[in-house]
Amino acid sequence: MSEWMGPGELLHLRWDLDKTYLRTEFDSFKDLIKTYRQKAEDKVAIVGARALLQALLDPAKRRQRRVTFVSGSPTQMRAVLTRKLRLDGIEPDVFILKPNLSNILQGHIRSVRGQVGYKLAALMRTHVAAAHLQELLFGDDAEQDAFIYSLYADILAGRVDAVLLASILGACKLYRNEVDEIMAHHGRLYGAGDAVRRIFIHLEARSPLDRFTPYGARVVPIYNYLQAALVLREGQFMHTRDIVAVLEAMSQAGYTPERLSNSVQDLVRRGLLEVPTVLGLARELSDVEATRGRTISTFIRKLRATVGDLEHVYRAKQEWPTEINYLSLYHQARFRRQRHRLLGIPLLDD
Amino acid sequence: MTTIVIDSAAGQEGGREAIAAAAIASLDLDLQIVLVGDAAQITAELPKIAHDAERMRVVHAPDRLDPALDPHEALRQAPRSSVVVGIELTAQEADAVFISAGPPGPIVSQALRALGRLPGVQRAALAAVYPTLHHRGPNDDPFALLLDVGATIQCSADHLVAFAGMGAAYAAKISALERPRVALLSNGPSPAGAPTRVRDAHERLTKGAPAFEYVGMLRGDQVTLGEADVIVTDGFTGDVLVRTLEGIAATAETLLSRAEARFQWRMGMKALGGGIAKLRALTDWENYGGAPLLGVDRPVILTQAECGRRAFLNAIRLAAKMQRLAVVDAVAAGAAAMAQGERP
Repeated sequence: MSEWMGPGELLHLRWDLDKTYLRTEFDSFKDLIKTYRQKAEDKVAIVGARALLQALLDPAKRRQRRVTFVSGSPTQMRAVLTRKLRLDGIEPDVFILKPNLSNILQGHIRSVRGQVGYKLAALMRTHVAAAHLQELLFGDDAEQDAFIYSLYADILAGRVDAVLLASILGACKLYRNEVDEIMAHHGRLYGAGDAVRRIFIHLEARSPLDRFTPYGARVVPIYNYLQAALVLREGQFMHTRDIVAVLEAMSQAGYTPERLSNSVQDLVRRGLLEVPTVLGLARELSDVEATRGRTISTFIRKLRATVGDLEHVYRAKQEWPTEINYLSLYHQARFRRQRHRLLGIPLLDD
Repeated sequence: MTTIVIDSAAGQEGGREAIAAAAIASLDLDLQIVLVGDAAQITAELPKIAHDAERMRVVHAPDRLDPALDPHEALRQAPRSSVVVGIELTAQEADAVFISAGPPGPIVSQALRALGRLPGVQRAALAAVYPTLHHRGPNDDPFALLLDVGATIQCSADHLVAFAGMGAAYAAKISALERPRVALLSNGPSPAGAPTRVRDAHERLTKGAPAFEYVGMLRGDQVTLGEADVIVTDGFTGDVLVRTLEGIAATAETLLSRAEARFQWRMGMKALGGGIAKLRALTDWENYGGAPLLGVDRPVILTQAECGRRAFLNAIRLAAKMQRLAVVDAVAAGAAAMAQGERP
């Protein structure tokens, strides 16, 4: 367990790396080799991720912020990945990489492919106790991040007891040492506090949104980091100036005002933002000196037009999770993966 | 970037197939997609399907058109229908295309009112494609163009001549034809037995229009041979003809299904499986991509009322192609040239 030396208030940011922070292709063996051989300078962060993370790591409040990266990349990539984060101006407090070589040497082949045992143990191991702890988790839809992060959150919230956790880990076919470590952490963290405020899932694979509905409103699937920034602003984690920083980063990367305003409308349709909130944001953005650039002015105009349409349309708000059927969700995801592997049915199909 | 405005109030399953097609297109094509319809329905459907929300906008249109009413009355009673709202949006965006499976009458009427006619165009024409025996152009395109199929029921010779210019310009762009062959639909090769409007149009087209080759008048039984790339007729006759062709294809499909009931026939069908599949693909109207409305100042594509996601997707692809090739500009040039009696 990390030794947290700061005062009682702590915002702990948990980030996955590949396909969440970094734009990574590893769908084929060739991609995997290319990723492995890539230099830090050649690695590219997902548009807006750097601006969002920098804003969350507000230098004025850095002592009350903590960022932990838990990545599925092998430990051999530590130097290049650390350098990449440093180039982006990000200093992680903890950076965990997957010990793939030792897994292979121990004959733990399932651990090389699987993420549940590794990531859940890493999240629990790096949990930091604080009087007023809030956690924000960032993952993607390429792996099982929504499942693992929600399970971690529910352990902290006291909603997954040892018996249920043991049955979930059994279904996931973890190795004995992984189960032992997770159960030991469970004894320490069970009911430690409902600290996870949001789990953001970057829709790299563009999975259908309904796939995340069973996880409740805590899990927020996002198409880009402007969406995450807006939800975080709504939750008082970010300011309007931070939204501007993310917007500028995305505009510079080629995002058109249409794509940006469509992203905001998507949040409104999903009930994550209210129309008056968006119109208020548009007013605030107009007032911010830095937004006088042409792209953002056009964005503000598009935003008003795009969101105004939906003012009188009823939108059901998603509920915060009370009970998640993890076993069923695990089996559904496993079925989809096997169906894809054996029959070639796309993973995006239900 | 091209904006595709899709009417989600019509099509199979009450518009769900239109929404599904829009979702698929948002993932596969570099387009901005605007879904117009009941926002609550669209919002409920979209999460079920993989899509790219960055490329999709939803515009609420609460009213429903009554297809039983006269087009003008239907539009008057539903001022915020998906057709009205969608065509208004199309008029506002320079690179927009409107796609709908709604009733053709109100769509044509609203398109003419909100988008306006191209200079020199008196009447709009709805153009349908159909498969022919002989293929055409460098892409070996199996489809010929038939217009009008329902936009202008009563046509004069002037209208038919203008349709010839617009149809030829469209075919030249879409099928990459240097000099499309154009024919008039009639009851025989001789103008003597044809109605006055067809005879007059024939006389004017015979004088020549170098942008296309006028091949004369063709009978109904000749249209599927592929002797012409564009066949021109009035909206009433064209509608009857295109529905007859679709009916024949549907009957053939039913007969094939019946044949599968007998063991020996089924064996024979298995042996011919590849060929039958190709024929089915050729006669399946969902592969055609809808009927463009020619003569209005923006691309408008009408699909069959009961069309599914494949037909919508093909209509979206056709829409993108029409924008990429600046087909409306070409049609405008073709129509203007015919109106002035000049070379298009």
